Amino acid sequence: MVVNTPVIEKPRTAEELAGLLRQAAESGSAVVPVGGGKSSRMGGMPLRSDVELHTTRLNRVLEHSQADMVVSVEAGITLEALQEELGKAGQFLPLDPFNSPGHTIGGLLATGWTGPLRQRFGSARDYLIGIRVAQTDGHLASAGGRVVKNVSGYDLMKLHYGAMGSLGVIVAASFRVFPRPLADVTLETASGSMAEAWTAAEQALSMPLAPTALELFSDGHLVVRICGSPDAVKRMVAELAWQEADASVWAEHSRTGPESWARISVPRHGLQDILASLPDKAQWWASPGIGIANWSFENPDDVVRVRHAVEKAHGSLVLMSAPADVSKRIGAWGTPPETIGVMRRLKNAFDPNGILNPGRFVV
Amino acid sequence: MALPTTVVEELRRIVGRESVIDSANDLRIFERDASIEGALPDAVVLPATTEQVADVIRVAAKHRIPVVPRGAGTGLSGGAVTIRGGIALQVTRMRRILALDPVAQTALVEPGVVNLELSLVAAAHGLFYAPDPASQKACSIGGNAANNSGGPHCLYYGVTTNHVLGMEVVFADGSVQWVSGDSPERVGLDLCGVVVGSEGTMGVITKIKVRLLRTPPSVATLLAAFPNVETASQAVSAVIAAGIVPAALEMMDRVTVGAVEAHYHAGYPTDAGAVLLAEVDGISESTRELMAAVREVLAANQGYAMREAQSQAERDLLWQGRKGAIGALGRIKPNYYLHDGVVPRSRLPQVLSAVGEIGEHYKLPVANVFHAGDGNLHPNIMFDIREPGIMHQVEGAGEEMLRAVVELGGALSGEHGIGLEKSAFMPWIFSPDDLEAMQRVKNVFDPEGILNPGKIFPDPSRKQVQLAGRMGLAIEAKWW
Repeated sequence: MVVNTPVIEKPRTAEELAGLLRQAAESGSAVVPVGGGKSSRMGGMPLRSDVELHTTRLNRVLEHSQADMVVSVEAGITLEALQEELGKAGQFLPLDPFNSPGHTIGGLLATGWTGPLRQRFGSARDYLIGIRVAQTDGHLASAGGRVVKNVSGYDLMKLHYGAMGSLGVIVAASFRVFPRPLADVTLETASGSMAEAWTAAEQALSMPLAPTALELFSDGHLVVRICGSPDAVKRMVAELAWQEADASVWAEHSRTGPESWARISVPRHGLQDILASLPDKAQWWASPGIGIANWSFENPDDVVRVRHAVEKAHGSLVLMSAPADVSKRIGAWGTPPETIGVMRRLKNAFDPNGILNPGRFVV
Repeated sequence: MALPTTVVEELRRIVGRESVIDSANDLRIFERDASIEGALPDAVVLPATTEQVADVIRVAAKHRIPVVPRGAGTGLSGGAVTIRGGIALQVTRMRRILALDPVAQTALVEPGVVNLELSLVAAAHGLFYAPDPASQKACSIGGNAANNSGGPHCLYYGVTTNHVLGMEVVFADGSVQWVSGDSPERVGLDLCGVVVGSEGTMGVITKIKVRLLRTPPSVATLLAAFPNVETASQAVSAVIAAGIVPAALEMMDRVTVGAVEAHYHAGYPTDAGAVLLAEVDGISESTRELMAAVREVLAANQGYAMREAQSQAERDLLWQGRKGAIGALGRIKPNYYLHDGVVPRSRLPQVLSAVGEIGEHYKLPVANVFHAGDGNLHPNIMFDIREPGIMHQVEGAGEEMLRAVVELGGALSGEHGIGLEKSAFMPWIFSPDDLEAMQRVKNVFDPEGILNPGKIFPDPSRKQVQLAGRMGLAIEAKWW
């Protein structure tokens, strides 16, 4: 548990941040990197926090090349500020995390949070093309580049994506961005029973023009987003015959961020069974086409039981937001993967003094 | 340097007598990949199972013998060349599709499975495997994963790393582990994403779980002529800027078109300065609308003589010309050196004119056939290796072209890998700190440095391109 009051640092440049990191490493101070603070309750509670390293002053758009559909930003920029910049050119980053607004790009990359748009666009793992990371030795190391296709050198974007800041602090990133769809329609439907709802979800997912996003809620409500060329979208809308809904449902949905919340991830055809095993009247929302469900849980003992079933189905259950005592008692991450040895060696190679987010991640 | 007899015997006990090759003549077959350099392995070992791979790695680790994993040998950057001798670990006996799940849309394959074969098998279920390198008739999925290979349709669908769900990997100590899997989220670091594209320097891939996609019901393919590569490049940028991301957007210059047309008779307009091959897919409404939009943009950017494939046979022929272009260029000169730089798409006109000037300066014919939509160019320097001193010229031209790519904000390789060929140029795009971070990762996976040594990282002890022994021999003896 954190007992001391951490020093708050808000560096203005990547170099300054890297210098602070080196100082911390030299003095053995534990560092907790902070972006928008939107995912601060994810993972294990830090064992120690001597320095909070805030990236919020690193908030510039470094370069937006509209013609190339590539953008480079500092890590502390919020997703909303980036979308506003891209929107001027009719472009966007297809990332719509929950507990919005206020996420920073660095935070999103470190935590690997995603939202409904993952159905069509994948996660940021798929469109992150370059990264710059401050290391505990005070050096800034880059990988990737500003081109959309690149196999020059190791893919260290993958190493830091979702690593919870355990190997370094992300200070800048480059993305491939996307043009706004020519047509974009949102539909919804309500189902009498959960069985009916799952059938409707599969029906939507098997349309010849696959949905861009599809969300199923624990009350049987379904929302789908269909994007593409106008006539194609028109045909899908007619075939599916759900009710048209206002596009604002997506922004509203992305604000979802309950106090206690677990993310279930399984091979997608196993999701229905897992969700059926949740306690009666459990509140959840899911992306049936991806294999992810978010469960606003009440009783930690239920979480332990469900996690057991999820892991048996080759999935994982991770606490996205939980009170410290709960995550301490039941663990934030579940059973460590069999490759934990390699992961620990990587951690040791980049953070030999163990100062980065101690206790937060699996390494 | 031959391996000690005792080591060869150890290897034979693992994989069987016939599956270790160590006679000087037979080894020559394995001295090259599809790049221009070569070096003899001390032995070629052909395992049939993961356990055999692990046992071979343990023997290699014990004796500190370099191991170079090798698939079909179609790589273009020297990644499969045994530059420091040792064992070429040829995985082509491991070529089974172990499972294909049409409901989950996944396949589990061994590394030696040929790329196209997987798509052909998946086609029975209305599915396909998206990454489609031009060499897909021969290249292996294991090699694709090791190199994070691309292909024409990666513009829309993404490259190999976007389609690999998990892998079984034999690490440098002989341990066998799965990295990632079918679940959309993993717990812990993304080792799978790091190993994909690491060119055999972190482990040997022995099984790959890949994502399959539904075959789109409708496809439209268009061929358009342009006055020159610059106008065609501008048209490419204009298409993307119009909010259209085609499934593929490929360019061929006049030299390429001439060679392709002479060979395939695909109906390419030989008077054009450049042609674009654009493909959109989806449902019939989307292909109709998108193709109309593409045509409009191309016409507004000096595109002419536009011709849409009217049948699958016609489409296949158009693609055959594109995918067989490098082979067709053999009509012009017997040898080629294919580069793979990638620039921000809007820089294509500048980089192509630089490439043209460099070719002229070195008096070497250059053909361009490439993934224009991605900004991934493939200048192909053609030469006849029998001309004395020509290699020096070819190397010089190649290096200058890459320099131009880097100066325009690009990267050394879009899809072929760094391998041997471009390792010396890594400091052009990465600082010592960047390279040191990568080296740390390498050291974690392979502390003794036995896995594909001498690749990716600059090697100051290596100065000159080492011509393949077999080819050097043939030229010296004037057999050719």
